[in-house]
Amino acid sequence: MLSNGMDKRILVVEDETDMRIFMSALLETSGFKPVIAKNGNDGLARARQEKPDLIILDVMMPEAGGAATYQKLKNEEGLKDIPVIMISAVAQRTFFHYISMLNTQSGSPLPLPEAYIEKPPEPQRVINTIKNLLFQGVVSENTFDNGAS
Amino acid sequence: MSTTENIPILLVDDEEGIRKVLGLTLSDMGYEVYTAGSCESALDIFRKKKPPFILSDIKMPGSDGLTLLRTIKQESPDTEVIMITGHGDMNLAIKSLKFDATDFITKPINDDALEIALRRARERRLMKEQLKQYTENLEMLVKEKSAKLVRSERMAAIGQTVTGLSHTIKNIAGGLKGGAFVLEKGISTINTKYLNDGWRMISGNVNKIARLSLDLLNYAKTAEINLMLVDPNLPVKQALEVLEPRLDSHHITIQTVLESMPAICFDPDGINIVLLTLVENAIDACLQKSVLPDKNKISITSVKTETGVTYKVEDNGCGMNSDVLSKLFNSFFTTKGNQGTGIGLMMAKHIVDMHNGSLDIKSEAGIGTTFVVTIPDGENKKQMQKA
Repeated sequence: MLSNGMDKRILVVEDETDMRIFMSALLETSGFKPVIAKNGNDGLARARQEKPDLIILDVMMPEAGGAATYQKLKNEEGLKDIPVIMISAVAQRTFFHYISMLNTQSGSPLPLPEAYIEKPPEPQRVINTIKNLLFQGVVSENTFDNGAS
Repeated sequence: MSTTENIPILLVDDEEGIRKVLGLTLSDMGYEVYTAGSCESALDIFRKKKPPFILSDIKMPGSDGLTLLRTIKQESPDTEVIMITGHGDMNLAIKSLKFDATDFITKPINDDALEIALRRARERRLMKEQLKQYTENLEMLVKEKSAKLVRSERMAAIGQTVTGLSHTIKNIAGGLKGGAFVLEKGISTINTKYLNDGWRMISGNVNKIARLSLDLLNYAKTAEINLMLVDPNLPVKQALEVLEPRLDSHHITIQTVLESMPAICFDPDGINIVLLTLVENAIDACLQKSVLPDKNKISITSVKTETGVTYKVEDNGCGMNSDVLSKLFNSFFTTKGNQGTGIGLMMAKHIVDMHNGSLDIKSEAGIGTTFVVTIPDGENKKQMQKA
């Protein structure tokens, strides 16, 4: 493959078939190894099993919703340090507000995700965000989607 | 006093002397005085001149003052009637108040007492008028405000519709873009899997937008219903013909019990759309529930009612919780992710409403859903349509 020496495994938790296909193609052609999960519970199981380098999570999934999955990921030893990119049709502001509301009720405050991208995801933005998180280890300003789309 | 200028007043007394003296006093006060010597002639004058005030003796030969009072109050409750009573006629005075006289004064009539009684009558009348005006103003205000509210609600509904529609289209555009991306990767890396996947995404989203435009078109069509005399079972049979292949391919058992009944007046195309939507939903609900495929069952029944027909579509699929139920008829609300357009049920409800019918749901998550559509015979509605 076109490996740039980046054999990193990325877990994609996404309920929409189209989005899963798109993400796999995007990740594979950029040299990453995608691991695919169709829902939140499956996603958690795969995360424990595969210990991916990064997780891409859809927030609007039905059933064990993406937000609940996120909460579990960030509360579990061994998983909570894996950076998470949220992908969602929900505006970033709305989701961050939701997290802060959750935090007021719970003893263990939930951190914000390492990055947030609003749907539909722009391929180059997804790749840049992944590279920033994996290789620079820091969250740069532009990692966050400012809703300017 | 200028406030009494030319206000008509009717003075009723059987004694001519009193009519004269009292008439002069009242004229001096500025009233326009009419006099009557009996209950009968008083009513005559009252009906012609409609004076707002009446001053009447209580004891008269023939029909007495109390009879006059009651008749006047019946015909015109707002007329102020002051009764004149003899000294010691307390019982009659009280009776007259019971019959809603404004006041009473006793003979011999003291000018000051008369003045006070009349002033109270005028004030009472003024207050009544003001109250009436306030009430009317209030009613108008309420009408105005509610009209505004209805307008703004309608605007909000349109806003919601546009937002929902643009969201749906945005999703489809996203899918098309994603498909194009995957297809491009397939072309540049000569990867058959990407080519297939990308192509599938694109054609899937093209289908979706075709379905959306068809739904919208159908919805626009339902702006009017076309009533005609038809067998109520016809749209059921037509819907089943269309749906049979899909039912078969998913191994869903369909059970139909159609009661034969006379033709009624309704829109067969509209009801066909309603039944198609309900059965399509039932199929989707069955597919959502992961039971053995052969255990899935949908039943359609038609029953003749006194006023028309009742259809029932029942499934043993996934059912709905109360949260979903509450949003069921909202435009663009869908539980089917990117598969639904969120138009079907909203449209079905709209068509049923246009028939003055009802669309009821019973549903339990995990157990199944029953839709009951009741359509009344639209005979009289058709007459209205003609007019």
